[in-house]
Amino acid sequence: MEIIVCVKHVPETAEAEIAIDSSGKGIKTEDLVFDINEWDDYAVEEAVLIKEKLGGRVTIVTVGSEDADKTLRKCLAKGADRAIRLTDKAFDGSDAYATAKILYGVIKDLPFDLILTGTQAGDDGYAQVGVILAGFLGIPHATMVKKIELMEGFTRVNRELEGGLEQVMEVGTPALLAVQTGINEPRYVSIMGIRKARQKELKVLGLNDLGLKEEEVGESGSWITVEEMFIPPVEKEAEILVGGLDAISSKIVETLRARGLI
Amino acid sequence: MAMEELAAIKKLDFNMCMQCGKCTGSCPVSPKSKLNPRRFMLETAYLISPLTMHPPLNIQEKGELWDCTTCSTCSYRCPREVKPMDVLIGLRSLLVEAGNVPSTLGDALEGVYKYGNPWGLSRSKRQEWTQDLKVKYASEEEKIDLLYFVGCAASYDSRAQVVARAIVKNLNALSIDFSILGNKETCCGNEIISLGEKGLFEEIAGNNLALFDRYGVQKIVTTSPHCFHAFKSRYGRELAVKHYTQYFADLIDEEKIRFSGKIGKVVTYQDPCFLGKHNDIYDEPRKIIESIPGLRFEELGRSGKRSVCCEGGGGRMWYDIPGERLAEDRVREALDVGAEIIVVACPFCLLTFDDAIKTSGNEERIQVKDIMELVAETL
Ligand code: SF4
Ligand code: SF4
Repeated sequence: MEIIVCVKHVPETAEAEIAIDSSGKGIKTEDLVFDINEWDDYAVEEAVLIKEKLGGRVTIVTVGSEDADKTLRKCLAKGADRAIRLTDKAFDGSDAYATAKILYGVIKDLPFDLILTGTQAGDDGYAQVGVILAGFLGIPHATMVKKIELMEGFTRVNRELEGGLEQVMEVGTPALLAVQTGINEPRYVSIMGIRKARQKELKVLGLNDLGLKEEEVGESGSWITVEEMFIPPVEKEAEILVGGLDAISSKIVETLRARGLI
Repeated sequence: MAMEELAAIKKLDFNMCMQCGKCTGSCPVSPKSKLNPRRFMLETAYLISPLTMHPPLNIQEKGELWDCTTCSTCSYRCPREVKPMDVLIGLRSLLVEAGNVPSTLGDALEGVYKYGNPWGLSRSKRQEWTQDLKVKYASEEEKIDLLYFVGCAASYDSRAQVVARAIVKNLNALSIDFSILGNKETCCGNEIISLGEKGLFEEIAGNNLALFDRYGVQKIVTTSPHCFHAFKSRYGRELAVKHYTQYFADLIDEEKIRFSGKIGKVVTYQDPCFLGKHNDIYDEPRKIIESIPGLRFEELGRSGKRSVCCEGGGGRMWYDIPGERLAEDRVREALDVGAEIIVVACPFCLLTFDDAIKTSGNEERIQVKDIMELVAETL
């Protein structure tokens, strides 16, 4: 079983106080603690669990600066076999589409039976990279995956839908599965384990190694441009609508109309 | 299997264990858990000497290892000095290396690694408890003669913060010059090593020693017996550290403390494991309590060397097990001796008793307070 897991090194923002940086298009990260994206942690655990059961190899791929090696070493300590970090000045400013292109640049030449990603990243929250990557590779995919059963030539997965519903789906393999949190319980990795994982292979590749052109990645290769990032102002007024469904709906329409929004 | 850990356990002489069972008999947790130190001593001997006929111990299935509070009663009572608690900590490290850690404990370890505290709270909020208090923060300009090491619980937990504030008020009232590390302070690592995470502990200890050196720290006084124990016995370097009970008992001996108020209540005292059983500090806290005017001091039925753990140590602040908490039993003992206040000298005791008083429905009858709170009220 050859499994590739795509991970992202992200700032932890749940407890932190967030401030906008001087460009107005990002957040200040100096005082933030970075770690593996939570969803990706579950994806790595799932890959290692599958490997422990069926044998094989787990390869971790990320796009990021040297600091992301911390996340890669953690993945290696969890039981992954090798890691690849894709890095280049030209990659700066890549959106989900350009990031998927970069990942595709290396994954297209790697053997795999399964690709796992997190469903989304805790920082930008686009939830697109996995799906676009599957598109580039021309393989089927499933998102919000809460359970994976591997069969001969296909995999049966449970997807988490709104309102607590689960959908069971069969996906032909090789496939890309974007994993939802809670699919397993990610293991703890000890500091000793991370130190030992230094012996495992960690390869660094750049733009030229992937056969990509500068204009295909970064801002110029992206479909999305960030215009501005801001912290939503705290509003002073809130109106809670009461009444039956019809009454509330017409009140909403009325309000939106009155403000020229529809 | 992590050979280094096994080697560490191997150093303990298992031939010394005569299977008398005193360890299990005195373990406060074993009546409600599968934790059986005596059996672990025997089975660990099998683990390290495969020549026996017994089946090998499958340590990865021994989840009850997390139930130990590292109260040290077993080590203290063992007639052969086998130190069962150290063996259990060594066995925990085998689970840690395998990543086989209950998720809440994994979160606590990660929290210390990333944010310097087991609750995983932001470093920038560590010194918020000081609010309007007069404190001096460590700075490159001045060497620190006396460092007040606050600790994680007293920095972040709103109930325990009251103790940190009381200590600062008391030191200021006595015109004692001291500094704190503020947001630069990091977990002492006592619970980390107790959980068997040796690599992380080494890293924390190294960083803390470097921080003490950077600010030229001469003497340290701690809120928590756990920090005190780590600095005194686990850092591999001699540090001039005192728990606050020792520090204030000395001030009483030197007649530097004059109380102006009084506490007209019956009080009793819970010996924290990391002061009492681990470090033989029984008299100093009692000296402070008994010097406070107006109060009547009653010992608990089981006190001093026979004192019973509150169940807050060894990582148990972040890991619960089924059954009544030991602190609830202690609350009943305190009521039996007619106490209106259970006095403690450890933030973990403070928090476990605070809970136990509520869960046992005794909020109207008894309170828990730290010694430093009583001193602040009467100075
Ligand atoms: S008390 Fe000491 S000698 Fe007795 S069973 Fe326990 S470890 Fe062995
Ligand atoms: S240290 Fe305390 S809780 Fe742990 S085994 Fe010994 S007596 Fe029991």
